[in-house]
Amino acid sequence: MTATIELIVNGVRHRVPVEDDDLLLDVLRGQAGVTSAREGCGVGACGACTVLADGRSVSSCLARAVRYDGAEITTADGLPDDDPVVDAFVARRAMQCGYCIPGFVLMGHELLAENPDPSDEEIAGHLEGNICRCGTYQEIVAAVRDASRKEHA
Amino acid sequence: MTVDSSGVAVGERWARADGRAKVRGELRYAADEPVRPCRAVAVHRSTRPHARIAAIEASRAAAMDGVLAVVTGADLYAELGDRIFTGPAFADQPCLAVDKVRYVGEPVAAVIAHTAEAARAAAEEIEVDYDDLPPVHDVDAAIAGGGGYVHDELRPSAVFGDLKHLRGIRDTNVNYAYVLRTGDPEAARGAGEGVRTGDAGGATAEAAHTVRGDFWCPPTHHVPIELPYTAAWPEGDRIEVLSTTQTPSYVRQSLADLLGLPLNRVRVRCAPLGGSFGAKMYDRLEPLAAALAWTRRMPVRIAATREEAFLLTTRHGAAVTGSMSADADGAIVAAEADVRYDTGAYADVGPRITAKSGMIANGPYKIANASVRSRCVYTNKPSAGPFRGFGVPQVTWAHESLVDELARERGEDPAAFRRRNLLREGDVAAMGTAMHSADFATCLDAVTEAIGWDAPLDPGDGRWRRGKGVAVGIKAVLTPTISNATLQLNQDGSATLLISTVDMGQGSDTTMAQIAAEVLCLGEGRVRVVTADTDVTPYDTITAGSRSTYHTGNAVRLAAERMRDKLTGLAAGHLGVPATDVKLTPDGLVSAQTQETVGIADLLHAHFGARGTTLTTEAEFSTSWAPYDKETGRSPQVTEHWFAGAAAVRLAVDTATGRVRVEHLAVAGDVGRAINPALVEQQLTGAAVMGLGHALFDQLVFDEGQIVNGTLLDYQLPSVKDMPDAITPIVVESPHRTGPFGAKGVGETAIIPLAPAVSNALRDALGIRFTRLPLTPERILTALQKGTA
Amino acid sequence: MPVFHRPATLAEACDLLVRRDHAMVYGGGTAVQILAKQGVLFATDLVDISRVPDLSGIEETKDGLRVGPMTPLRAVERGPAVRRLAPLAAQVYGHVANPRVRNTASVGGNIAHGDYRLDPPTALLVLGATVELTGPDGVRRVPVREFFVDFQETAVRPGEIVTAIEIPRQPESAGAGFSKLSSLSANDWPCASAAALAVGTSRAFGRRGPVKLRLGLGAVAPTPVFAEVELADDASADDAAEAARAAAEPLVDPIPDVRGSAEYKTRLAFVAVDEAVRTAWKERSDDGGFLRRRGR
Repeated sequence: MTATIELIVNGVRHRVPVEDDDLLLDVLRGQAGVTSAREGCGVGACGACTVLADGRSVSSCLARAVRYDGAEITTADGLPDDDPVVDAFVARRAMQCGYCIPGFVLMGHELLAENPDPSDEEIAGHLEGNICRCGTYQEIVAAVRDASRKEHA
Repeated sequence: MTVDSSGVAVGERWARADGRAKVRGELRYAADEPVRPCRAVAVHRSTRPHARIAAIEASRAAAMDGVLAVVTGADLYAELGDRIFTGPAFADQPCLAVDKVRYVGEPVAAVIAHTAEAARAAAEEIEVDYDDLPPVHDVDAAIAGGGGYVHDELRPSAVFGDLKHLRGIRDTNVNYAYVLRTGDPEAARGAGEGVRTGDAGGATAEAAHTVRGDFWCPPTHHVPIELPYTAAWPEGDRIEVLSTTQTPSYVRQSLADLLGLPLNRVRVRCAPLGGSFGAKMYDRLEPLAAALAWTRRMPVRIAATREEAFLLTTRHGAAVTGSMSADADGAIVAAEADVRYDTGAYADVGPRITAKSGMIANGPYKIANASVRSRCVYTNKPSAGPFRGFGVPQVTWAHESLVDELARERGEDPAAFRRRNLLREGDVAAMGTAMHSADFATCLDAVTEAIGWDAPLDPGDGRWRRGKGVAVGIKAVLTPTISNATLQLNQDGSATLLISTVDMGQGSDTTMAQIAAEVLCLGEGRVRVVTADTDVTPYDTITAGSRSTYHTGNAVRLAAERMRDKLTGLAAGHLGVPATDVKLTPDGLVSAQTQETVGIADLLHAHFGARGTTLTTEAEFSTSWAPYDKETGRSPQVTEHWFAGAAAVRLAVDTATGRVRVEHLAVAGDVGRAINPALVEQQLTGAAVMGLGHALFDQLVFDEGQIVNGTLLDYQLPSVKDMPDAITPIVVESPHRTGPFGAKGVGETAIIPLAPAVSNALRDALGIRFTRLPLTPERILTALQKGTA
Repeated sequence: MPVFHRPATLAEACDLLVRRDHAMVYGGGTAVQILAKQGVLFATDLVDISRVPDLSGIEETKDGLRVGPMTPLRAVERGPAVRRLAPLAAQVYGHVANPRVRNTASVGGNIAHGDYRLDPPTALLVLGATVELTGPDGVRRVPVREFFVDFQETAVRPGEIVTAIEIPRQPESAGAGFSKLSSLSANDWPCASAAALAVGTSRAFGRRGPVKLRLGLGAVAPTPVFAEVELADDASADDAAEAARAAAEPLVDPIPDVRGSAEYKTRLAFVAVDEAVRTAWKERSDDGGFLRRRGR
């Protein structure tokens, strides 16, 4: 069954026709022009498809688009130019191939919104569902830590 | 190797090219690139490990909504003939099965449809009748024969003269064998420990201690997070391909052969890779996509799922039976290794791995009497191919366990024992080639110091037990290979570098830019590497085997030096002085005589009388080798350069659960010269984290040839929570005489000794020698209960 | 391809479940989507209950908490009321997978799935929670200790939907502990998990009676399992651990798989029980614990 839903992606309204079983990831990539969320595993285990829906992280590869009608979706490429988490990742060189990093950035945002001053253990606990196969975890954790301190400063 | 070094770039921690774009997700990977509308392809796969295809019923599938074509291997064979069989060493793998299937998951038929859903639905409707054949799953059973033979006859590629002797051989699963022999290891080893005999061929048994072991590394998977993706479309009388590949030049040649086209009518475009580690090389989705696009005259797109990605290529499982002997003074006198690589259903680059790893299977030690037999074996499972380390981690698992055990037999500190025996600069290794820029000893010392090797270790009491371990790794760079670089200097002083090296996270875009910038005195960000495109970027053998920094780096350096010479020539004319008087500096071209300076932009504008112009130079850098002798496996120049590295581990084991907690992991690599130390450190750390996964829990589990854990819910990957408490990457620089500014690569260095370092630490903590990977808590606990592994 | 229904009322949802042969509730959706992706979803109909009002939320009641079935696990993990009234539940729900999964996975779906490896049932078992089920025949309540019937089989009858989980207030003087052990990578499914709750009782004249030590075990049997032993109030942690082990032993019956053999999982089960019990026992007798719990 086709329905028309509205997704507000990084502040831009997209009215799109979707089937019942269309995945949010496919709709975002196919119809809303998002490329920063990607498929890595299809089962929500790697985090490459992470987006924020109304501020909450979701595995868009497992989410049916119809369930997100009216949701405000944030993707990494929609963050402001001076986003402190992005700046922290860049400063800390928290990337190698880069494929997984947008997912980590969004998880970082979610964590800091809930917990502005997380310990390293809390940072790791929040990021444990995102996989970086290049093994850049140290820089990623440091970047989130830096971003939390900067927001505090 | 004296270089006129401006000091502006080499050694600097420049920010990674496209770093911000990567963080924000704005960088486009292959599947993000807009291409013309393509049809979707879904693949129907074999459910049998070994069978003849009796019949394929596809009419129902072909009639389904949205389906444009159903293509079988027989269909393609009718059009392409034997050209359908591809591979980097053996031409034995068809993109769709022809006559036989050889592994569960092998592509049997392809559906082209308007949508991915329609294609997949139709693929499920295809029915195949199989006549089962006896499968072989175990590498030693495959060698023993008497069961099934995966291939009716061996099919080495006609391209390689050194494989010709294998053509047509039947009734075997061994597709390649390498042997090494120097001295008389059996005699030196003697009949047993400490037995002195003088009658074996005149050699005297010197061994006071001998250790032996049977070692096993299971198959694993690279699992780069970016999935494989290939789009292909006919463009008039040409074919164009956009693919996730580390080897565009290879793919161009392979597809040209497949379709019978000249090279200039095959275009392979790349994109930055979201990780690869060897998974996206040689022939993956490209032959199928190109064959379908070309024979059916329609644009197609194949996006592999994660489950399918597990089937495209894997890392070789390997069995090693080895021994090592030392004399009473603690010198290693003999080492032997019998290596069996499980290459799966198709050889891929297995034969090359078999030789390249076989030749250093005894380790980085001075060994007068050594023998290796290394064999590449077919079994009925997805084919194994190149993986970070290229077969070397598997033999290192054996030699670093053996040397460690040998030290303990002697009651000697394992680090000290190694130090005595390590190859030094100028020493000739067992395979006959001398060492240069392979500072094993410094790497060993660096990592042991970093973890406090000599500090007393709290051995732990009660539940947790502690230990420390070290391992040293050696690898030879793939030789011979070829790199080319074209450099365009733009009138405004920015530069564009055209190379076919692909950045997959190792930072080649940044490294190559720094090399060019160093020669041309250009600032950060002034040199940009374009994405590889075989219509534009010149030939490069492969981006793999950690070869690019040295080989492509040299080509880039040479092209930049030629550019510098062009500039000084132009400046000489412009300034009215001899060319020898002109020097290129960060401020521009300066006349030593008059101190007059002209900037690049002004110089080129004056020369051409126009803006936006380009100066172009190019260079080739190729290496050669002396092929090893077929009988002895030896050569005086078997490789262009070596990789040397070491890892040391301090860990604690929970004796209640078997769980390992790595407290400190230090890894060191001799890179000759670190063009960008930050990138080197990230590669050392990244490879170490991957290696830790292999050591502790990573493995592909097969059941009768079927992958059991081929999803990311089951296949284990290190997460942030698996990180050691502390991890220290150490850059060692023992400049290479012909490396660009002395540099060599590092991508694989830290993964090579990782698993044995962990195992050696467990040996220290628990007194148990493990010979099989991974070192899961269950394996450890079971061994603790039994007292042995 | 299953038909996707989005009923607006509970009655409609139950009706769909009854009338369709192979209908499944689509709550958070995570588990169902994974089954679909792996090609093992055999439902003909999916009943999405996200449009039915009043199914999400955590309410404080006279006896404790009432958690709606569509409440995300993360809300239970972080909910101030949960942290105050049933901190063990908050802790254990917070162990499921990773935060992204917990944002979407629903409390109702989590328990109705009947997966023997899940963590939350262990806490619900020791806390003595009750599952409210609404179906065509009305509303009924099943104690969670009777909810897990067999391997991947729960007490949910055809047509029924979990409409609440009621969690009694965790006694403030009780000690709680939870241990989750994985056998491969750190964020893998558990190989064994155990929740423990040590609840003191009182006698006349303010004297302390025996302690009820409750255990909930996950991943070590075809279903989550419950056991209870009684110990003297002045028993030592060693006594408690030993008694717990003895109580757990007949119930541990692991399913061997790539994560471990039956023998290994059995060993780990006892380690998990031991850790959870010792934590609970310490917390119970720890004077500071009382103040800490109030502040959570």
